This record gives sequence, structure tokens and C-alpha cells, in this order.
Amino acid sequence: MVEDKSLGSRIFNYTNLIILAIIGLATVLPFVHVVASSFTTSAELAAKQFVLIPTDWSLAAYEYIFSTDTLLKSMMISIGVTVLGTIWSMLLSVLTAYALSRRNLDGRRLIMFFIIFTILFNGGMIPTFLVVQQTGLMNTLAALVIPVSINAFNMIILKTFFQNLPAGLEEAAKIDGCSDFGVLFRIVLPCSLPAIATISLFYAVTYWNTYMHAILYLNNADLWPVQVLLRQIVVLATGISYDGATYTDVPPPEQTVKMAVIVVATIPVLLVYPFLQKYFAKGALLGSIKE
Amino acid sequence: MNQPLDIAAQEQAKIDKANLKAERFRRIKRNKLIYIMLLPGLLYFLIYKYIPMYGLIIAFQEYKPYQGIMGSEWVGFAHFERLFSEPDFWNIFANTLILFGLQLVIFFPIPIILSLMLNEVRIHMFKRTVQTLIYIPHFMSWVIVVSISYVMLTLDGGIVNELLQVFGFEPVNFLLNPDWFRPMYILQVIWREAGWGTIIFLAAMAAVDPQLYEAARMDGASRWRQMWHITLPSIRSVIIILLILKIGDVLELGFEHVYLLLNASNRDVAEIFDTYVYTTGLQQGQFSYSTAVGFFKGIVGLVMVMFANWLAKKAGEEGVY
Amino acid sequence: MKPRQKFAAAVFSSLFGIAALAGCASNESASNGGDADQTDQTEQSEAGEASSEPFAFSIMANLHTPEVPDDKILNALEESTNTEIEIQWVPDNTYVERLNSAFATNSFADAVFMKNQTTFVQFKEAIRDDQFWEIGPYMEQFENLSKLDEQVLANTMVDGKLYSIYQARPLSRQGLIYRKDWADNLGLEAPETTEDFYEMMRAFTEDDPDGDGQDDTIGLTDRSDLVYGAFKTVSSWFNTPNNWGEQDGKLMPEFMFPEYKQTMDYFKDLHENKYMNQDFPVTSKTDQQTLFKNGTAGAYIGSMGDVLSLYEDAKELNPDIEFGVHNQIKGPNGEYQIWAIPGYGNMVMFPKSKVESEEELLKILGFFDALMTPENANLLYWGIEGENYEVVDGRANVIADSSVQDREVKPFQSIEVGGPETNGRYEGVFPYEAKEKAEELIKDNENYLIHDPTVALDSETFIENGERLNQIIQDATWKYMIGQIDEAGFESAVEDWKNQGGTAVIEEYNASYEELNSN
Repeated sequence: MVEDKSLGSRIFNYTNLIILAIIGLATVLPFVHVVASSFTTSAELAAKQFVLIPTDWSLAAYEYIFSTDTLLKSMMISIGVTVLGTIWSMLLSVLTAYALSRRNLDGRRLIMFFIIFTILFNGGMIPTFLVVQQTGLMNTLAALVIPVSINAFNMIILKTFFQNLPAGLEEAAKIDGCSDFGVLFRIVLPCSLPAIATISLFYAVTYWNTYMHAILYLNNADLWPVQVLLRQIVVLATGISYDGATYTDVPPPEQTVKMAVIVVATIPVLLVYPFLQKYFAKGALLGSIKE
Repeated sequence: MNQPLDIAAQEQAKIDKANLKAERFRRIKRNKLIYIMLLPGLLYFLIYKYIPMYGLIIAFQEYKPYQGIMGSEWVGFAHFERLFSEPDFWNIFANTLILFGLQLVIFFPIPIILSLMLNEVRIHMFKRTVQTLIYIPHFMSWVIVVSISYVMLTLDGGIVNELLQVFGFEPVNFLLNPDWFRPMYILQVIWREAGWGTIIFLAAMAAVDPQLYEAARMDGASRWRQMWHITLPSIRSVIIILLILKIGDVLELGFEHVYLLLNASNRDVAEIFDTYVYTTGLQQGQFSYSTAVGFFKGIVGLVMVMFANWLAKKAGEEGVY
Repeated sequence: MKPRQKFAAAVFSSLFGIAALAGCASNESASNGGDADQTDQTEQSEAGEASSEPFAFSIMANLHTPEVPDDKILNALEESTNTEIEIQWVPDNTYVERLNSAFATNSFADAVFMKNQTTFVQFKEAIRDDQFWEIGPYMEQFENLSKLDEQVLANTMVDGKLYSIYQARPLSRQGLIYRKDWADNLGLEAPETTEDFYEMMRAFTEDDPDGDGQDDTIGLTDRSDLVYGAFKTVSSWFNTPNNWGEQDGKLMPEFMFPEYKQTMDYFKDLHENKYMNQDFPVTSKTDQQTLFKNGTAGAYIGSMGDVLSLYEDAKELNPDIEFGVHNQIKGPNGEYQIWAIPGYGNMVMFPKSKVESEEELLKILGFFDALMTPENANLLYWGIEGENYEVVDGRANVIADSSVQDREVKPFQSIEVGGPETNGRYEGVFPYEAKEKAEELIKDNENYLIHDPTVALDSETFIENGERLNQIIQDATWKYMIGQIDEAGFESAVEDWKNQGGTAVIEEYNASYEELNSN
């Protein structure tokens, strides 16, 4: 590679780095507050409100949330749903997106319109509930996956990426005798790793954040994913209740507990991204395949 | 009509049509594997998206859950009439459009600019770290974002106002002054979503053939020119698709976020369709009315998407359909 | 439609082996979904069997705690009532959505808690349409259920018929919690009148009550809640009616009374003089309490029972802190009054779509009857004697670790029916004297109650549009208190209220009122 070493380029580099560093810091500070708050006492939190470095370190919040296995169990469920759900959704989305990326496909525009229509209109909570019930998914974890198998938005993005691949690739493969499936799995997918990584990440995060469906479709609290717990704790502890009419004698969870649950429930998804980042390296595989 | 020439032409047209049909049939047959690939996806949309859409007809009924759709009374366009004649309708419409405008004009370009900047970073560790940091806020729920903002901005001991006072400024009533609602809204959106938004563009940039940059450098193109002539054009199709889809979302602005920011003093500028439907509709179990509002939003979105798509095609782009 | 749907689903699932994914589900619950008819049949046949078999049924209830409790208390309860209970816990913050969807899709539990008065009112139409069992005629058969309070039952009736068993709440817990140590420093007594209270707020703000030489304190801390925050309680001190009041023999909304205006002015002054937190219209309960705990604010108006949890955090920061609780603050005309709730917080109803026979209903009612024996009521509320609590002078003293108690026992409080007066459950012993006093004052409040006359009345317009109408007035009230609108602005909001349906609400309530009185 030829590196550009001119003065203009260096100034460009440094300004860029400084601005990005400031942005990175500004976005992460509130999260630092969340993490720091989870490691302190609720008294310190009440005294200061905004904490970046705790003076009074405490692990009490973590001891509390891990004193029963509820959190761990719901994390395991979330991880299972996320992994299986992402694989399932990617499979369906890749097939659909690849088919629709073929410009010579009859009926393509109509089908695309048919799909976009579903972004704009939906039948609402109750009819969807009934279909989920009719298809036998109630009270199964599949109810968190099957009814949201394909996200039209993600599928369309994937299709756009596929379309951007050089047309020559596929034709060459076809001449070599690959079937459509062969072209997809041997040529198109390996060349689209950044896109596959991105859309997988989108699906994974959506599944990780699943919340409302769990409450609607699962009567059995043993199957609840971690977001139900997280959400319940955050809403209870923040005291932002959508209606103030129900009063109970049960004290709300401590602020530190709220923060600790946020931290624990966020860490798994935070770990995914750095892991995927290697697929974002510039022109990772495209170049090599072409040669 | 009886002219022989016409007959010949008709015959010819028939043959052409038959040929066309035959050719199309052959094409479809050749592509049968592709259609098989499509099948599961289409079935999914049919079952879980289209079948429930029969629920939209309750927008034209006085729906009672226990009577079901079959048994509920038909009321025609009454719910739509009610929506359009609400005293606040135009105000809500304007508020929604203004927030949408902010999203489109201020928020939308930010992830693109950020990704261009990140894409220029040569130090991998630095790039990855910043990428990860700016992606974190996406995982903070709006409840957390709003409550952290409160803690920082409140007049009762918030850091921002304390700092303003240290530097000799008057404290600012960020939370209760309606003028601050829109800036606060868009800043929170940027804080939470900008980093997340870069992922798609970075992926698109990663797909650019490095040889293009090599060639440009050989030609002595500056960094700006490379950005402008190589990076941007290569992510253009992704930008356009995202833009069209975003435009279709014109009336969807994040119910929870706005709802949490909403208060008595900013309601005139902050009430949007979603929050309005929540107080008038869901809270009182008025399924029909809220469905009618959803229907209206869908139609507005559809018109916007079709318009944006037409515009894109007019400009020689691919469009979404 | 249905067969085709099923067919499509079958194709779809066999094509992609959904079975593999569905395999994650636990078996016991999987049998519950899908085909509702089948479950019903099995239940019916179970109901028909010999009575020694435990009776199986389900309850849908609010979860007020972070976690679902483990089965210890539930098992003990099942044993003592010979039942097999499936509790469908629903997080309180999404209860309404779940309630609506379960209702619309016929997937209710056998016994369904309603969440609160507001949701109950929304179900009135369905109740009138015979969707729930009327239980009034059966009540006498049950020894304990018949002990329920007549007045509270009357508050939950629809057209004079009873459909629900209520869960009792003290009629009024509202009062003042204040910094006793600050008051002592400044030589102030507990306030007797609204004027005394105002003076206390001034002194807490201006006279350096914590003696640190800094101007860093305020009087009152309040939050974005006009009802359970300070406003409604102070409005009672001024003798404002509770939501609706009678004026020249006619029911009128509270905000048309001069006392309401006086209360707003009172808050306006407190706010303007910075005797209270400046952002109170957007302050959450947590942030409101934080200001009190960390020594910024000296007074908290709300549920007096909160004093214990407030104190526990506050003493960590300041071991010398002293809280006082107080009620009986008189308004300008020298009379103390306090607003009351209708005496219930939640209630349980029995949908006909799920409870299909009278026989089944009687068994479920039998269960709730059994819940109202002191023994079961204590089990539900306090846990297991000797393990979770012990009895001291006829009251329950919790001995379990508070985190254990919060997790194992407290969630079950949301299926209690009745209250200590009717189910014989022990009252609590509290290790903190201010909390003991708070409990006494909550009882004392019962001598000074203002009731809401519209509780048992009906207004079609209010059911349809009440939330929106309330919002007009609430917004105007906030804006007036923080000085964004003046009296004319408030009056124009009242006009809006009238024009957008308020006039109809007044007429409907009065018609309903006359009807009730003539009977």
C-alpha cells in the first residue's frame, strides 16, 4: 500500500482523531456513570446523583442480583433465543434477499412492494396474537422468533448489499456450473461478510431486546428473557410509572441494583461487536476472491 | 376492422404475445430455484404479516373485544372523521412533521459523516475502540437516557446548571421551557443512535474494493477527493435505500422517548400521533380509534415511500421496489 | 380462514423444522397454549372428579417486584387449600396491554386481577354485556367472603350488582413527612395549619436549618403526580372536594371550586419563592425522594408509610437524621380533611369465557374464601411463621432478611383479597418509631375523610374521553403553578374542558347521581 504522508493528510488525520476521541468520550460518559453507580452504595448515589468514580466502592448490588439464579437463568434464555433466532432469521433473510437481488426475476417489483407494505401497515397486537396462537406457538420460546422471522428493513439492506456485488462474479460461477444455491453459498456469501456481520448483529440485538412478545405470548415466567427482568427493575426503580394509582408496600429496588442489572444485561451484546469487527476490515475478502 | 392488414397485424401481435409468454415461462422455469428460495420468506410475510392485517378493518367498526370482528358494529369512516376533527389534529400533525424534519435533516447525515471519519482512521485499535464506545448508548433504554438527562439538566442541583452558574451564567430551565424540547429530543436521539447508525455505512465501506483507493492514490488524489469520489459513491445505494425507508417512517418517532419527555408545559410542541393515540386510545381500550390512527399513519407512510421511490428512480437510482 | 391458516402454518413449520426451535419450550406450559378447547375440557373433567383431588385453576396477577417469587409460599398455600394454582405473573408496567390482549383473544385465566380502578371502569361495558360472572348471589354461602366490607363492595358494584372481590387498601395514607431535626434546630413545632406549613417551608429554605452556613436547602420536594404527589393532599387541607363535590345540590368537578384555586396559588407561591424543587412537574418519584434523603429538602407529602424506606437510606448518609410524620393540617376555615380512595386497590374477576360452569366458579370462590382465613391471609402476606415472621403482641414482626422477604413473600401480596379488618391478617410491627406513628395516623385519617361521590356513578363520556379531559385540567394546573398561565388561562382551559365533553360529563354524573339517590 502506498501511504499518503503529505502535511495536509497529517493535519486531516490528527483533527479527525481528536474529534472522534471527543465524540467517543461524550457518548460513553453516561454509561460510565451507570457502571460506576452499580459499584457504589445507594447512599452515595443519593448524595451525588451523578457519579463517575465511586468513592464508596461496594459490590452489594451485584451480590443482590446474583443471590438468586433468576438473572442467570433469564440470561441463558436470552442467549439461546438470540443465537437460534439470529441463525434462523439470517437463513430466511439471506434466501429472500438473494432471490430479490436478481434483477432478471419476474415479479420482483411486485414482491418488493408486497414486503415494504408490511413495514407500513400492521394488523395490530390482537390479530397477530391470534395468528401466533393458531400456529401453536403460545408459551413456547419459538413465539419470540417465528413471528418476527424476517425484518423487512434488514432484508432490504441485505438485498442492496447483494446487488452491489460485481455482476461478473455470479456469471463466472454459473459458467463453472454452480446452481443458484451454489452461487449463493460459495460466491455471494463469502463476498458479503461485512453485510452478513452487520445484519446478523441487527437481528441479534433485536432478539436480545425482545420484551413485549415475551409478556404477551409466554404465561410461564420461567421462560422470560432477561429484558423482562431488566425492564421491570428499571421501571420500578426509576419511579416512572405509567400510572401512579397502584400503590404497594413493596419498596422499589435500589438504584444501584437497577444500574447493576443494566450493566449485566448489556455486557453480552457489547462483547459481540468487537468480535464482529474483524469482518469490517476494509475490503476483507472481496479482493482476495477476485484475484 | 376487417382490413386484411389489421388481421395480419393482430395475428402478428398474438404470436408476439405468445412468444413473450413462452419466453417469460422459460425464464421463470430457469429461475425456479430462485422462486423456491423466495417461498419461505413470502410464506412468513403472508402468515404473520398479511393474515393479521384483517385486523385493520376494526378501524371501520366500533370494535368490542368480546364481540369479535364478526360481531362488532360497522361505523364507516367515523373514526377517521373524529381524528381529522380533533381540535389538536393540525397541531399534532405539525409537531410530528417538525420532529421528522429534525430527524431527517439533522440526525440522518450524522452517522454517514461519522462513518466517513472512522473510515479514514488508520490506527486500528483506535478505530475499534471509538466504534465500540459510540455503539454503547444504543443499549440504554429511553427510560435511562431520559432519567440521566434529567439528573444532568435539572434546576435542582443538575450539573449543567451548576456549571453554568460557576461560569457566571443564569441557570436555564431546560426541562420546563417548551423551547428546549426539540433540541433536547434530537440531541438524545443523536446521542443514542448515531453510533449505532454508523454500522451499516461502515459495512458498506468495507465492501469497497481497496484497489480503487490504490489507483486514486497513484493518481495523487487527496484524502478529500478519495472520500468524495470513491467512498461516498460506493455507499450511495445504501444511503438512498435508508433514506427512502426513513421517509416512510415519517410518523414514527419513537413513542416511548417522546412520551417520557412529554409534560404539561411542552405538550403544545411535543404531542405526536403516537403519544396522542396512547392517551386517547389504548389507555381507554379504544381499539378501533387507535387502529384508525395507525391506518392513517400507514397511508401517509405509503404515499411518502412511493413518492421518494419515484424521485429516486427519476434520478436514475435503483429505488426500493 | 382457520383451516387454511393451520395448513399454511403446518407447511411452514415442517419446511423449516420449527419443531427444533419449539423444543426449547418447557413441556408443562406448552400444553397450555394452542388449542384452548382442549385445556378447558381437561379442566372440566378434573372439576368433576372426587373433591379430594386438588382443584386446578389459574390466576392472572400483577407482579410488583423485579422477580417472580419461588414456589415456597405457593406450595404451602396449595396444600392448605387443596388446590393446584397456576399464577400467571404479569409485570405491572405492561399489565394493561396483557389484560386487553388476553381479553380480546379469549385467553384469560380463571381469576383475573384488574390492576386498578381505572382499568376496572374500562371493563364496565364488558361486565354489563355478561362477560364476567356476577358473584353477588353466591357471597352468603361463604363464611369469610361475606365478611367483606359492605361500603367497599358497594363501590365496586356495577348497576348494583357485584362482580368482583376487592383487595383492600387503607382509605387514606396521605400526610406529611418532615425533618424533625431541622424543625427542632429552628424551634418549629409540627404545623397545625397551612399557614404554619408555609412558614416551615420558608424557614427550611431561608433559615439554614442544617446549620452549615450555606444556602443549600429547600422546603418541599414534590413530583410529577397531582394525585399521589403533594397537590391533592394539600388540596384536601384546603377542603377541596375529592374529584367531584356538591355545589347547590349539583355535582361539580373539584377544579370549579375556589378551594382548588387556593391550592394552586399556594403551590405557585411556594414555587415562585423557591421553597420547593423548581422542576417538580417533571420530577420522578425516585428523584423526589432523593432530594429528601440527601438533605436538600425538608418536607415530603405523600404516603406516610414511605417514611421507613426513606429513613433507611437517609441514615446511611446522615446518622443523626430525624424524621417526623404528621397529619391534621387545617385549612383557612379551621377544619382538617383528607381525600379517600374507594377502599380498594385491585380486584379479582372471573371471566365466563374461562370459568364455564357454576360449579367451577364455586370452587374458585371457595379458594378465595379460604384465602380470607387469618391463617392463609398471614401465610400470603407475611410468609411462614417462625421462618419469615414471628408474632409479637398480636402483630407480625418480620424476622427474615429483608431481601429474602421481598423476594419470597411480598409478590404474593398482590393476590390478597380483603384486608386486615376482614381477613384477620396481622398488622405489622415496625422497628422504626416514625413508621409506627405513620400507621397510627393512617388510621386517624379515617375520621376526616372526603369521599369521591362519583365512584359508584356512571358517565359514558367520561369512560370514553376521561383521560383526555383530565389531561386538559392537569396541564392547566401545572402551568398555573409554575406561572406559565394566569387565572384567565386556567379559566379558558376549563372552558375547553367543558366544550370537549366536560359539560356532558357533568350532566351524566348528575343524572346518575339523582337516579342513585331516588332509589
